[in-house]
Amino acid sequence: MARFLMRSVISTLVTMLIVSALVFTLLEVSGRDVTVQILGVFATPEQKESLRKQLGLDQPGFVRYIDWLVGNDWRLRDELGNVQTVFNEISQEPEWYVLLDDGRFVRHEVCSRVEDIDSGFCQPGEMLYLVRNEDASFFRENAGDVWTTDPETGESVFWGVDIGNRAAKWVEGGGDTAFVSTQTGVQELTGAAVQWIPLRKGLLRGDAGVSLKTTRPVSKTLPIRIRNSAILAGLAFIVVMPLALFLGILTGINEGSFFDRFTSVTSLALTATPEFVTGVLLILVVGIYWSNNWLPGLVEAGFLPDWALESFKVPTTTLADSPNAIFEKPKELILPVLTLTAVELGYIVRMTRASMVEVMAAPYIRTAIIKGMPFRRVVFRHAVRNALLAPITIIMLHINYLVGGLVVVEVIFGFQGLGKFIFDHSIFGDPNAVEAAAMVTVLIAIVTRLLGDLAYTFLNPRIRYA
Amino acid sequence: MAEDKSKKDQPVLEVKDLAVAYKIRGGEVEAVQNVSFDLHRGESIGIVGESGCGKSTVAWAILNFLGDNGYVKKGSVLFQGEELVGKEGEELRKIRGNSIAMVYQDPMQALNPSLTLGTQMKEVLTVHRGMSDEEAAERCIKMLERVYMPDPANVLLRYPHQISGGQQQRVVIAMALLTNPALLVMDEPTTALDVTVEAAVLDLIAELRREFDTAIMYISHNLGVVARVCNFVNVMYAGEMVERAPVEDIFARPQHPYTQGLIRCVPKLGADKASAQLYPIRGRVPPPNDRPSGCVYGPRCDYVQDRCIQERPQVRILPNGNAVRCHFAEEIDPAEWVPSEDIQLKAPVGDVSKNESIMTVKALKKYYDVPGNSIRAVFGLEAPKQVKAVEDATFSVPRGSTLGIVGESGCGKSTLIKTLIGLEETTDGEAEFIGHDITTALSDRSNELIQELQMVFQNPDSTMNPSYTVVQQIGRPMKRFNTVPNDQIRGEVIKLLESMRLGENYLDRLPRQLSGGEKQRVGIARALASRPDLVLCDEPVSALDVSVQAAILNLLIDIQREFGTTMVFIAHDLSVVRFFSDNIAVMYLGQIMEIGPAEAIYSPAYHPYTEALLSAVPIPDPTVEQKRIRLEGTVPSALNPPSGCRFHTRCPRRALMPDGGKACETEIPPWREFENGHRIFCHLPKETLESFEPVITLASDKEAVAAD
Amino acid sequence: MTTTVQPESAASRQPSRLAKIWNNVSIIFDSPVAMVGLAIVLFWFGMAILSLFWTPHDPNEQYFRDQRRSAYIMTYLPWIDLEDYDEVTRPKPEFLLGTDKTGRDLLSRVMAGGQVVLLKTRIPLPTDDVRRQDEISALSRLLDRFVPEEWDEVVVPGGVAIWGVIGSLVVGTTFGLLAGYKGGWTEQIVMQIMDALVAFPRIVLYIVVIASLGQGDLVIIIAITVTGAPGIARLSRSLALDIKTRDYIRAAETRGEGLLYIMFREILPNARGPLLVDAMLRVGYAIFTIGTLGFLGLGLQPPEPDWGSMVNDGRELIFSQPNIVIWPAIAISTLVIGLNLFADGVREELSRYQK
Repeated sequence: MARFLMRSVISTLVTMLIVSALVFTLLEVSGRDVTVQILGVFATPEQKESLRKQLGLDQPGFVRYIDWLVGNDWRLRDELGNVQTVFNEISQEPEWYVLLDDGRFVRHEVCSRVEDIDSGFCQPGEMLYLVRNEDASFFRENAGDVWTTDPETGESVFWGVDIGNRAAKWVEGGGDTAFVSTQTGVQELTGAAVQWIPLRKGLLRGDAGVSLKTTRPVSKTLPIRIRNSAILAGLAFIVVMPLALFLGILTGINEGSFFDRFTSVTSLALTATPEFVTGVLLILVVGIYWSNNWLPGLVEAGFLPDWALESFKVPTTTLADSPNAIFEKPKELILPVLTLTAVELGYIVRMTRASMVEVMAAPYIRTAIIKGMPFRRVVFRHAVRNALLAPITIIMLHINYLVGGLVVVEVIFGFQGLGKFIFDHSIFGDPNAVEAAAMVTVLIAIVTRLLGDLAYTFLNPRIRYA
Repeated sequence: MAEDKSKKDQPVLEVKDLAVAYKIRGGEVEAVQNVSFDLHRGESIGIVGESGCGKSTVAWAILNFLGDNGYVKKGSVLFQGEELVGKEGEELRKIRGNSIAMVYQDPMQALNPSLTLGTQMKEVLTVHRGMSDEEAAERCIKMLERVYMPDPANVLLRYPHQISGGQQQRVVIAMALLTNPALLVMDEPTTALDVTVEAAVLDLIAELRREFDTAIMYISHNLGVVARVCNFVNVMYAGEMVERAPVEDIFARPQHPYTQGLIRCVPKLGADKASAQLYPIRGRVPPPNDRPSGCVYGPRCDYVQDRCIQERPQVRILPNGNAVRCHFAEEIDPAEWVPSEDIQLKAPVGDVSKNESIMTVKALKKYYDVPGNSIRAVFGLEAPKQVKAVEDATFSVPRGSTLGIVGESGCGKSTLIKTLIGLEETTDGEAEFIGHDITTALSDRSNELIQELQMVFQNPDSTMNPSYTVVQQIGRPMKRFNTVPNDQIRGEVIKLLESMRLGENYLDRLPRQLSGGEKQRVGIARALASRPDLVLCDEPVSALDVSVQAAILNLLIDIQREFGTTMVFIAHDLSVVRFFSDNIAVMYLGQIMEIGPAEAIYSPAYHPYTEALLSAVPIPDPTVEQKRIRLEGTVPSALNPPSGCRFHTRCPRRALMPDGGKACETEIPPWREFENGHRIFCHLPKETLESFEPVITLASDKEAVAAD
Repeated sequence: MTTTVQPESAASRQPSRLAKIWNNVSIIFDSPVAMVGLAIVLFWFGMAILSLFWTPHDPNEQYFRDQRRSAYIMTYLPWIDLEDYDEVTRPKPEFLLGTDKTGRDLLSRVMAGGQVVLLKTRIPLPTDDVRRQDEISALSRLLDRFVPEEWDEVVVPGGVAIWGVIGSLVVGTTFGLLAGYKGGWTEQIVMQIMDALVAFPRIVLYIVVIASLGQGDLVIIIAITVTGAPGIARLSRSLALDIKTRDYIRAAETRGEGLLYIMFREILPNARGPLLVDAMLRVGYAIFTIGTLGFLGLGLQPPEPDWGSMVNDGRELIFSQPNIVIWPAIAISTLVIGLNLFADGVREELSRYQK
């Protein structure tokens, strides 16, 4: 057992490392330009280049991978001083500050605001501290002469933390022109920093980074999506498991009967039909019932996803996009759960049936029959336990595939779950979000496989006592 | 009481003209036809025959367990006067397990792996007798004690895989006897067991038959086993019963030519290839859908006449009360039988034992590392445990001779030859073969060496690659070692096949078109294709039926005489090894216990282990007297072999040592040397070893002694 | 006469080999399940092949998009109101199953939908067309050097699903046999990598691969190869673990055969049956996946029809014009069911045959 657990832990870590590197490489070699996604197709090359620098994408790929994995604050300590995160109670997100020797947390900004210059608070190009108050607000203070000379270029430079949680390198009296996208459009800034490195603690230290799509920390948005998907998959699982095992056992002991043939063919058809076909057909059926008002009261708005409602010219609710929609409109769950059930049911029935047929032909079942045991006892006492061994491991492995099905089902029904999260962020090309989601799916895959192994061990005395 | 009396006279089982058929695609096949016999209380009837003769089908038919596609086509099965054929549902269920019980060939397979033995045993009583759980448990413990199971209360809590094969079979037997059934059907119950374990189980069966007054139907392919436990024998051939007689008559005066043939196939213990010969039955058992219309045995019979081909013989009762299915049973005298020309072997070529040695092995060791399971072991803090599979093997093989290696499963005989051929790496020691060092791995060996050292394998079904034809498989070594130019390979393969007594028409066949014996011949041909000096044979005949076994042994003898090939021959069957080998090594738990010329091994002085082995061999002759020496306990684990002499934990002769054999436990025994290179690895002094009485006394020897 | 006559013996051996292959193939005729499956699969193959030469209409022509350009409409259906989707898409004698939103003939598109999965693979070559730059891979650039200037794509026989499965068979069996036969560290490392790939939910892998490498037949083939290889590796490893215990492998070893010979000549031929059955199932999964990707808008290159994208395109009109969704959906499901039935039947026959 010790050996098994050790191996599992090591193997999990290695797997996650391989997968994360793979995802990173794939996103890296992608021709896809994330700046186009953010700025839109009409952005100028200068604007895109500036955004790349602000996102730190001008750094080499492997450096960004290491940053993502173990963070970069320790690496930037020499330039920045004692840089730390402080939790912001209002936004519920951590923020990066430099802790000065006098105990104050500060960030940095170059004096450029018109009112500050007009009031004589600072000269353009001077470095300001943004000093943090207890309530997470801040006040400005002139930082004085903080510039140091870069030994290589001879320029007078300063590394600080800007308001976007990035390490920024400013050049005294100079600097680049940067394009910052704001709510009102793209603004041009002069005297901006020449280099940015988004600060992060790294995944191993619990920081999954900020999503480029939502500009919020992934750790804020992802858990809700996981919860939603877990509810969806969990409900499907609760429906599928008892039904599928029951049908599988029943068909297995009645091999060749009409019931067996009927169930087997249906299971095959269900397994062979892709989720999107099942889902769309279910919507079609429910929609027909609804439009003809055949089952008044049973079928009503809430069952159908927005895109299907549009064709009925029914006003769509804005709720569907909210991550908490499932609690306000639990009916939204019905069709997704049915779709998942249909797809998984067939597979598990087939597995269980095959296993049951095999066990019923085993010599020890023959022994039990020849011992004169009643058929019921032969099936439930002697056969079922052995017959469930194989399906349970396979079902656990299959949960992995269920995640794939979730993507499709959630996209069809506009369900705000993990699958849609992965889909949307992959299309966007959002490395932090995709990496985090991929880590979650890998973890799900490995943990379920492990649970399958443990269940197998528990059910199989040959291994348990070996 | 009166009723009881009448039941005594009535046969427990009466099978009349039974025919069983299986439906297959496009028709049906009759697996069994015209089988009739009856069985009384306290009797045991043996059903013998080669595989495919329908022995097991008879048993399944009696239990009415023929699967979805089998059914009783004709005849009746009366059990205690009740018709069993056609019985179904509850009625049948109440008989099964209650008054008819069964013991199976492979106990591991027959027991449910996920239920404790207690659960499986107790349910027989709770279901059939309505006993409470505690009562049932008590009964089970008593029954386990009856079958000499150590620590029975504990056994009930265990799972099948936690006890040894011999113990599993005891559990199955105890389970069958729980309800004191009137009939016990045993289907090859000892075939999967080692010879010493088999002997103990057979003793048990014989004892139970006497005490429980149960009728036993005993199915086996092994004449020796049947001779030991049965008082009647039914010989089956190709789905028909060909002869039925008391056990003494079957062996002394076999009437049917098939029975005679069977007996001639089996080497007598003590016979060797120089003095005796095996006579295989030609041809093979016809498949059920291709049986001749006349006498089923006709095509293979030496006495066949026109009438046999035209008219199917019926079972006839001979004046002595035995039944036989042969037109000419009275006219056939087995003593006057002359073997046909084609099974005469080549004359032996000179005396081999004086030749120089071709292979010399000194203190060869093979240990396996076994990874530990504790946390410490995972981090490599503990020294890995070692299985000492072969310990200090020392021997040499003279050119042109055969060295036989015997021992029970797990004794390291297979590991030893795998190490010699390079499939396993040698841990320590020296081994030399025609000037090459053979302690190296296969990848380090030169092609010349590989070519000179080849191997024949045990399982005919896996010895040939199913995807290639005969000529491709035999041709491959020729191509690889460049012994034959590419365009001549076909011709060369034909020559080789002819020495295997296979025709040219076999060239393009695939393995699935060959019988077991034919596959084994091709396997031998493949080994010989590179013209090796030495061939290692790993149980080449143990998976074969006796008549095929005889043919393959003859073939090997022929090859050796023709090519002068040296052989190392592994087998667990002592009669076969004795017959085939010039020298023999007996192994126990990785250690060679005794080695020497074949005739010296089989007569005193014995190693105590050899003595026990010999007394366990089933001998197909009920008149032979064997000393009864049974080993206690099970073979210890090779992970942690006993100190001193590895056999001391089970040695029946340890008491002969001064002070109860302390030395056996602590000191490694010395080699006791006898003449002709006969050596015994034992603490007992030479004189004591020599004073042991012979284990086996033939009836003729006995008379000689009596005349004295 | 300079032509030589084949020697008698060789000629007489020739048909026996053919007969042997026929013997192997003919076992499927014993299984009704396999025959039904085969019939379904052959139906779609037939449709796809037929559509190469003939379809009722050009599957890519948008008959209702622009009245001025569509001579067909002007000639045959001048009364159609192109603003009314219901009217446009509804089945009519000229368009038996109706058309999609842009007026492409549904029947022709369903027929031709099998082409890309089953019959042909398109590799686009670099052109000035910026829209297609995403689809250009290194292989395309390499190919561009060897083909005539005017070609803008290379079409390879064999559909995307089939090449994808062949790819995963090659990669999977190589690694699986190696791991199964060699054991030890080799096995640990190979299986660790394969496990990592398995742990990665395949649809996620597809999305990431396609999102990063862009759409295109070649990318889908690579994605199917990568996601299929671990499963095949696992299967061939377990087959190798079983087969390597057989005596004929010992015989090969004691003959001093090399690693590759034992892997590919001794083990592989005996693992062929289960691997082929598995490959057949995988062609089904691949079609399934290509459909799903098409549905998600990540599928094969437009404009050629692809069943999954057809479902996606038509779903907005599902209640007014369900045909657009139903027919391609039926096409995918039946083809996958057919392949499953065929594989099931063959597997059953194989196991019966080996007994």
